[in-house]
Amino acid sequence: MKALVRLYGTLPEHYPDNYPDGGLEVEIWENISVAELVELVQVAREHVAIVSINGMLSKADDVIPDGAQVKFFQSITGG
Amino acid sequence: MKFLRVNMTTQTVQWEDVPKKYSTLGGRALTSIVVNSEVPATTDPLGNENKLIFAPGYFTGTTLVNTGRLSVGAKSPLTGGIKESNVGGTVGFSLAKLGIKAIIVEGKAADESSFVLNIEDEEVATLVRSDELKGMRTYAVAEKLHAKFGESKSVTCIGPAGDFQLLSASIQSTDLDGRPCRAAGRGGLGAVMGSKGLKAIVVDRTGRVSEEMANLERFKQASKAYAKDVKADEFSGEILPELGTAVLVEPINAAGAFPTNNARMGQFKGVEKLNGETMAKLIKERGGKTKHKGCSQCIIDCSNEFVTEKGEYVTSSLEYETIWSMGGMIGNDNLDAIARLDFLCDDIGLDTMNTGVAIAVAFDAGYGEFGDAEVAIRLVEEVAAGTKMGMLIGNGPDAVGIHFNHDRVPTVKGQSIAAYDPRAIQGMAVTYATTPMGADHTAGWVVDQNLEAFGGTVEPHGPKGQVEISRNTQIHMAAVDTVGICDFAQSGLATDEGIGNVFTMMSAKSGLSFGEKNWAELGKTVIKVELEFNRKAGLTNKDDRLPLMFYNEPLPPYNVVVKVSDKDMDSTFDY
Repeated sequence: MKALVRLYGTLPEHYPDNYPDGGLEVEIWENISVAELVELVQVAREHVAIVSINGMLSKADDVIPDGAQVKFFQSITGG
Repeated sequence: MKFLRVNMTTQTVQWEDVPKKYSTLGGRALTSIVVNSEVPATTDPLGNENKLIFAPGYFTGTTLVNTGRLSVGAKSPLTGGIKESNVGGTVGFSLAKLGIKAIIVEGKAADESSFVLNIEDEEVATLVRSDELKGMRTYAVAEKLHAKFGESKSVTCIGPAGDFQLLSASIQSTDLDGRPCRAAGRGGLGAVMGSKGLKAIVVDRTGRVSEEMANLERFKQASKAYAKDVKADEFSGEILPELGTAVLVEPINAAGAFPTNNARMGQFKGVEKLNGETMAKLIKERGGKTKHKGCSQCIIDCSNEFVTEKGEYVTSSLEYETIWSMGGMIGNDNLDAIARLDFLCDDIGLDTMNTGVAIAVAFDAGYGEFGDAEVAIRLVEEVAAGTKMGMLIGNGPDAVGIHFNHDRVPTVKGQSIAAYDPRAIQGMAVTYATTPMGADHTAGWVVDQNLEAFGGTVEPHGPKGQVEISRNTQIHMAAVDTVGICDFAQSGLATDEGIGNVFTMMSAKSGLSFGEKNWAELGKTVIKVELEFNRKAGLTNKDDRLPLMFYNEPLPPYNVVVKVSDKDMDSTFDY
C-alpha cells in the first residue's frame, strides 16, 4: 500500500531533502491513521495542524486508504 | 494628543483638546464611540450629518511593533449601520507621531468641489481646493500629491468609486513605497469621504510627538518581549514573510470552505494555480518581491510585489481574500488576471471582496460566465467609466442581485462574506451574521478553532460551541482593533504571557491598572456601543441573518448547511 505525502506552506523548507515538489510516495500499512502517518514520515507533530486526505479534511484517527494523496498544512492565523 | 476637526461645509479646521473620557481609547473604540455620540443614527450616510472619523490605534506611534493601524469609522452607506474598517501603510503611525488622536470630518463641501486635507505638522492643517483631482484614480492622485507636497508624504485617498459615492468604495492609503495599495476596504467608507468632497489626506511623516506614557521603561520592556514572540512564532515569523496570507488558500480549500462560483461549491478545481505556494514561486521567478514591508513598524513583512513575466509591477500586495474574491469566487484560476483585478480595485478605490462577489453574483445570474477573467476586468473598468453596469458592480452584490432579480447573494447587512464559507466553518456563520459590521471575517476569525488540531477543536460543520467562540473572538478583536495591533501580529498575544505583555503596555501607557477583565470589558463596550447605534439606526435581529442559500443549499463536497439556529445567533451578545 502506498500514499503520496505533500507538504505545504514552509514545511518543505524544514525537510528539504525528503520531499520533492510532487510529493513523497511512502509505503503504508492497512488501517494506518493520520497521526501514525505523520510519525512515519518523521514530520514533527507540532509542525502539522491540518491534514487532508484526497482533498478532504481529516481527523488524527482517520484511516489512510491505499493510493491516497495526503496534504500536510501548518498552523494558520488570519483575519 | 489632539483631535483635528475638519468642517467640509465651511472648509475650516480646528484643533481640539481630547476630552478626558477618550484619553485611554484609540482605533475602533474611538471611531465607534464618536460616531455613536455625534452622528444621528437615522441620518443619510452620504448626507451632511454623517461624520468620518480617522483614529490611529491606542498603541500606534509607540515602540510596539506592528501597530501602524488606522481605524476609519462612520455610518456605513452599505450596511446602514456603524462601520469601522482599518488599514495599515504609513498613515496611522504618521498621524500618531503628529500627536493626532483622531481626525473628525464633518459637513460636506458644495457639489463638484474637491479638497485635499494637508496636515503639514502638529499645528498646521489646511484644506486645499483640488477640483482637478475629482474622478482621478488613486495611483495618479498619489503621484500628483507627492509631486505637490513632497515624495515622502503619506497619502490617503479615494478613487473614482469614492467620487461616485458607490457603496463598495474603499479608502486607499500609501504603503512604505508610496503606493496607494493598502485599503480600508469595507463598508463603503470611500463613498462617505466622496460625499464630503474630501479627495485625499496628505500627512507629514516626520512628526516626533512623544506618546503620553505613564511608565515608558515598563512599556518598552513589554513591547520588546512582544516583538520577540512575533518573530519566534512560526506563522508570523516564517510563513507570512515567505508566502503571505495566500498560504490560506490550500487549507481552506481542503476544508471545503473556499467559496467557489458564487458559493455554489466549497472547493475550487483550479486551486493549485493560485495557491500561496504557486504565487510565491511565480513572484520569485519573475523578479518580484516576497517578504515585502508594507506598513510602518512592521517586522513580519507579509506583503509582496506581484510583477508581470517581464518583471513589471502589477500590484502590491496580493492577499488571500482577493485571490479568493477575484479567483475562486468568480471561477477564475488565472493569477495574472487576479493580480490585475487587485490593482484595478486599488486604483479605482474599490473593496476587492465586495467587488469580486458582485461580479460572482452577476455571473451566477447569467451575465457572463464563471472563469471569464476578461469580462471581470471589463466590469471593474466600467466602474471607473461610470456605465450603468459599472455602477451596479460598484454598488456591490445586493445591487447586482436586485438588478437581475437573483436571490443567491452572499451578503449580510449588504456586505459580502469573505473567503470562508459559513456552511463549512459554522463559527464564521455566527461572526458574519452577528457582528455589527455586516459580514466581516476580521470581526471574529474562528477558522483555527474549526480546522486545526487535526480537524478542529470544535466540529466545523456543527453548531456546538460556535456561538461561544465567535462571541469571545469578537470581543477580543474589538479590543485588538482598539489598540491597533495588526491581525497577523496576534502571535505576540497568543499565550498567557503574551497577552500579559499587552496588559502591561496598557497599564504602562495609561497609568491605570489593567488586566484580563479590563481587556474583555473594553471589547464588550465597543460592541455594545456599535449595537446601540445599529438599533437606533433601525437594524434589528432580523438583520443578523445569513441569506437563505446558506440554509437551503448543501455545500459540496461536504454537503453541509448552516445549522446554528436563529435563537442561538441572537444569544451571541447576551452578556
